Amino acid sequence: MSNNWEMVIGLEVHAQLKTSSKLFSSSPNQFGSEPNENVNFIDSGMPGMLPVMNFGCIEMAIKTGYALNFKINKHSVFERKNYFYPDLPQGYQISQFEFPILSEGYINIDSGDNQKKIRIERAHLEQDAGKSIHDIDPKYSFIDLNRVGTPLLEIVSYPDLSSADEVINYMSSLRQLLMYIDVCDGNMQEGSLRADVNLSVRKKGQELGTRCEIKNLNSFKFIKQAIEYEFQRQINIIDCGGEIEQNTMLFDTSTGETRAMRSKEFSHDYRYFPDPDLLPVNLSQEQIDKIKPLVGELPQDKLNKYLNIYCLDKDIAKIIIAEKQNANLFEKMISESTVKPKFIAAWLVGDIFAFIKENNLEVISLNDKTKDITDLLRLISDDVISNKAGKEILPKVLNGEGKPSDLVKELGLEQVSDSGELEKIIDETLVGEEENILKFQGGSDRVLGYFVGKCLKATKGKGNPKLINKILLERLKK
Amino acid sequence: MSDIDIKRISYLAKLKLPSEKEEFYSNSLKDIIKWVDNLKKVDTSKTEPLHNVTEKTVSIRNDEVSKSNSVDDVLSNAPERAQNFFKVPKVVE
Repeated sequence: MSNNWEMVIGLEVHAQLKTSSKLFSSSPNQFGSEPNENVNFIDSGMPGMLPVMNFGCIEMAIKTGYALNFKINKHSVFERKNYFYPDLPQGYQISQFEFPILSEGYINIDSGDNQKKIRIERAHLEQDAGKSIHDIDPKYSFIDLNRVGTPLLEIVSYPDLSSADEVINYMSSLRQLLMYIDVCDGNMQEGSLRADVNLSVRKKGQELGTRCEIKNLNSFKFIKQAIEYEFQRQINIIDCGGEIEQNTMLFDTSTGETRAMRSKEFSHDYRYFPDPDLLPVNLSQEQIDKIKPLVGELPQDKLNKYLNIYCLDKDIAKIIIAEKQNANLFEKMISESTVKPKFIAAWLVGDIFAFIKENNLEVISLNDKTKDITDLLRLISDDVISNKAGKEILPKVLNGEGKPSDLVKELGLEQVSDSGELEKIIDETLVGEEENILKFQGGSDRVLGYFVGKCLKATKGKGNPKLINKILLERLKK
Repeated sequence: MSDIDIKRISYLAKLKLPSEKEEFYSNSLKDIIKWVDNLKKVDTSKTEPLHNVTEKTVSIRNDEVSKSNSVDDVLSNAPERAQNFFKVPKVVE
């Protein structure tokens, strides 16, 4: 019955900025420390402590502004968002409300075969809260304030998304961009990037329905599941004559269902007001301009370069630019070698990535092996060794077992490209094959493959297949 | 002036209010708001909003880490602790 229905989705994405210190205190901004290790008196909300703005956060916000096509506001204001919760010792979150640092941006995402522009209403700086642990003790909650004050950039889209796939594409494009400009590590499992999904349904072409907000989704899989469940839930309610109540929902990862999180009896009132401890942020044009060169090459720039200058296929180019470290590795290899970029790219997304995946490695760990890798690729593209021999040697090169040229000698994999030698082997192979030769001359191409195979076997796999092919054809056509 | 929703306000303030006191507090709040509303007599149509009286910009620091205290310092005022956690009555929203 969901055919006539469509979903309308807006996303609030929280990106933890990868600064060294926190937004308003100089405690370490670090994941995975011992409980309350990274907490000082500002973070713990002690009376009389004053927040001091970390300019690194402003810089990262401005970089994001450039990457996501935002208007970068010279004037922005920190306000207090008041609510009570044990992991928020100040009693309020310092955030930006009326005057955010970034407004009216957009990114383009893939939607089917086309590109779709997703408008972004705003992005603002705010503090993260601490963590409550409820499952250690039946009567008590245990509080770890390490995350308190971690800088977040909250990126709020317009309701321009209309399917789970679009949401995933939007989210992964954002993640890719934020990682490219080096402001967020993109680690969703550790909560560095999380999304609140605002979803409503409507019959096609009708006005917007009432929305529900699903809080704190931290994996692509959960985002997709939550959207699909919530879409169906809202349709079912309306189909049964009910009305959607505006609600904040939690996604239960064990059941795959969404459920209402907050009591609706009284809505929250955050009583925003400008934080008297913090003066407004007033930036000069000069300060903003200075940061532009730090943005660097964005994925779209790289894609254009890879397609037009390096002549890569689009699919392969996209795999390489998906993560900045892939692109860095690729470009390092190109700069160090005269092997054709297209040849390098094919090996990179093929055997090299497969090796990385199989051995659970970081792409970055190969950065000091690029010279050996391109030396090996040189041997393959010059036909010194066969493709097959290349595949055999590659893992050894990546494991650092030796120089490619040494390994080739050691394993006796050097290709036989001496035509005299090959001719001799081929002539020997053709002895007693009169019947098959006649078949070939009668038009059966399949026999050629048989002969190539037989000759390769006779050279113990070391014969240059291209050359064998060529000589064979000459011989057979006689 | 709009009516005071005293139930909601006491909820937001996390205060328990006996029902016989509701009218009393409702009226006092109304008086306070009426008094504050005197400010509306000032014509501000041509005045830019002021976020802070000093008119300066926020003071900033470089993105550098310094540790000024130990975990024990931070936990020393906690009513209760368990290992290095604050231990508080269970609050699950």
